[in-house]
Amino acid sequence: MSLPARLLLLQVLAPLVAILFGAVVASGILLAIDRDPLAVYGQMLRFTLTRADSLASIFFKATPLILAGLAAALAFRASLWNIGVEGQYYVGAILAAYVGFAVRGLPGVVHLPLAVLAGAAGGAAWAFLPIALRLRRGAHEVITTIMMNYIAAALVLYLLEPGLLRDPAQAGTPRVRTPEVLPGARLPSLRPLLDLVGLQIPGYSSLNGMLVVGLLLCVLFALVLRRTTFGFEVRAVAANPQAAEAAGIPLGRVLFTMFLLSGAVAGLVGLSDTLGFFGYFDIDFPKGYGFLGISVALLARNHPVGVIPAALLLAFLDRGAQGVQVFAGVPREVITIMQGVIILAIVVAYELLTRYLRALRKREAARAEPARPPLPAPGEGRRAGEAAGGGTP
Amino acid sequence: MSEVLELAGTLLSAALLASAIRLTVPILLAALGAVFTERGGVVNIGLEGMMIMGTFWGAATTYFTARALPELVAAVPDLAPLAGMGAAVLAGAALALVHAVVAVTFRVDQIISGVALNLLAVGLARFLNILFFRVATQSPGIEGFTPISIPLLRDLPALAPVARNLSPVIPLALLLVVGGHWVLVRTRFGLRLRAVGEHPLAADTLGIDVYRMRYLGVLLSGALAGLAGGYLAIEQGHGYLEGMTQGRGFIALAAMIFGNWWPVGALGASALFGYFDALSLRVVALRIPYQFITVLPHIVTILVLAGVVRRAQPPAADGLPYAKEEE
Repeated sequence: MSLPARLLLLQVLAPLVAILFGAVVASGILLAIDRDPLAVYGQMLRFTLTRADSLASIFFKATPLILAGLAAALAFRASLWNIGVEGQYYVGAILAAYVGFAVRGLPGVVHLPLAVLAGAAGGAAWAFLPIALRLRRGAHEVITTIMMNYIAAALVLYLLEPGLLRDPAQAGTPRVRTPEVLPGARLPSLRPLLDLVGLQIPGYSSLNGMLVVGLLLCVLFALVLRRTTFGFEVRAVAANPQAAEAAGIPLGRVLFTMFLLSGAVAGLVGLSDTLGFFGYFDIDFPKGYGFLGISVALLARNHPVGVIPAALLLAFLDRGAQGVQVFAGVPREVITIMQGVIILAIVVAYELLTRYLRALRKREAARAEPARPPLPAPGEGRRAGEAAGGGTP
Repeated sequence: MSEVLELAGTLLSAALLASAIRLTVPILLAALGAVFTERGGVVNIGLEGMMIMGTFWGAATTYFTARALPELVAAVPDLAPLAGMGAAVLAGAALALVHAVVAVTFRVDQIISGVALNLLAVGLARFLNILFFRVATQSPGIEGFTPISIPLLRDLPALAPVARNLSPVIPLALLLVVGGHWVLVRTRFGLRLRAVGEHPLAADTLGIDVYRMRYLGVLLSGALAGLAGGYLAIEQGHGYLEGMTQGRGFIALAAMIFGNWWPVGALGASALFGYFDALSLRVVALRIPYQFITVLPHIVTILVLAGVVRRAQPPAADGLPYAKEEE
């Protein structure tokens, strides 16, 4: 087999091996609780792939994960850590809900985009402080973004206090939420569109336009990173910040822009739920997309388009977990554990692959120039925060 | 004037301080763990997950020990919580071992490994709880250690809340601070651990086994985070409850940074955070929205990192994977 073909095969095999490893670990757990793994997996596949409502559910669950994964990946691509996607989407979602219910008298063509932009602005605003402190004062963004997550959670709780954004109409009920978003700011369902192409999804499915926004953003950012001058600058900065700066690339501006873009995309994560499903922001708003987004970005090796299959994989596992819980009586947590194992296995697999490629390249170079001594290996380790997240992009 | 006095009375009341001390301990134990792993040069974001493992295994082991060996438990007081604490320490260390394998041996990015372990721990705790107790989110109630009192101080009525009814883990945590400092400054192990965190290549050249030291640092951090979780479940919650760690693993990282990567500093920072924690539970008296108090530790941490309060001085090779000569 030729070398490029072998490399391509390895690239494809690495995630498959990791998924298989996760399945083997989950099988061990299933055997331990006296279940037949193959029967459970069969049940899972039947439930997820042969039912229209399952497929619609997978795409609905994947929508926030695609955006969260893209947000994390954008920061990683500039060798920045955005652990703050979680807090950024809380702020974005509540701001979008606010614009959705408080701004009146606008036609839908203006109102909905305005609400979506408010979400992006909220996310970007929440990302501003960590990146500003990183660039100005050298404060590591891993810890500051984690702290900003807690501050966002408290801020959202505070805003839901009576007299602020809490719906006065719910007074006397246990419901703690904002007023209902106006119809003009609701995200349209994808059902009519899918009907046109002959795909029937059930009426109760909440699959909405945010999925399309997410897919388009993935493609857009893939193109920006690949084809534009800015994309070139980002790649240069990630590969070697000092060299990039010496070559005249404005290091600070590139990092700042990428982090704010990451925050803006993060601000959209909660909108499928706020503007497309519930129609309001409440105290039990879905949490945890931010951390799942980091997993999605890792699975995708930080490629904007790769984020899509990665998010679909996690959404598939999640839906499958519901299926085995209901129909096979297997706790869905087995699948959660499997997700965690897959993620760990995949980062190890990618790391080994990257190292193998590096060794291969070194060997090639040595063959081309036999006189040159090999470069010393140690010291090449990179600081966690400055390193490109998860291997070379 | 009387309002100011009243406020001061509330802020310094013995009951508030007693509650602050109790809330300091879990942050402090995990922060000590963070000091050890980062002194060795390995960042451990997975402390939260290790703490979660500690809460579950601590509660479960205490419960089953008390049920399985009633005669022995009746004869040996505190046997069940002791077994629970032991299990919590082991559980934390077990998850830390995964972190060490992934981040030290395979040199996967340390942050990635920690994030993945946190996700794994949540799923694992839920699954195990279903397996043992049929529900996902909580264990049956358990009894903790026999409380202790401080001699002399307990007889002063004003100090009674602070000096009586204390968990024996509280003095243990303080001993660990002193011991941890001594280990880092005076012992061969501590000096080698720090050398590995400052300049692994130099340490390696001098014949120090970098991987071994880093494994030990990570394992210690897992054991201490597990102990922190065990304390939460056995001594404070009297049972396991999903989410009972409430992000204290991350707060512990903040306390370690605020404490400038030293055990005694971590004690001061943890005490401050524990005090905010206690205060947020009783701010009704202060007429401030409680959310403003709960975010104080997070804001302080950001200020410390930004160098507003003081310059942060992490170990030089903190977070850097180290590759022995190869390839």
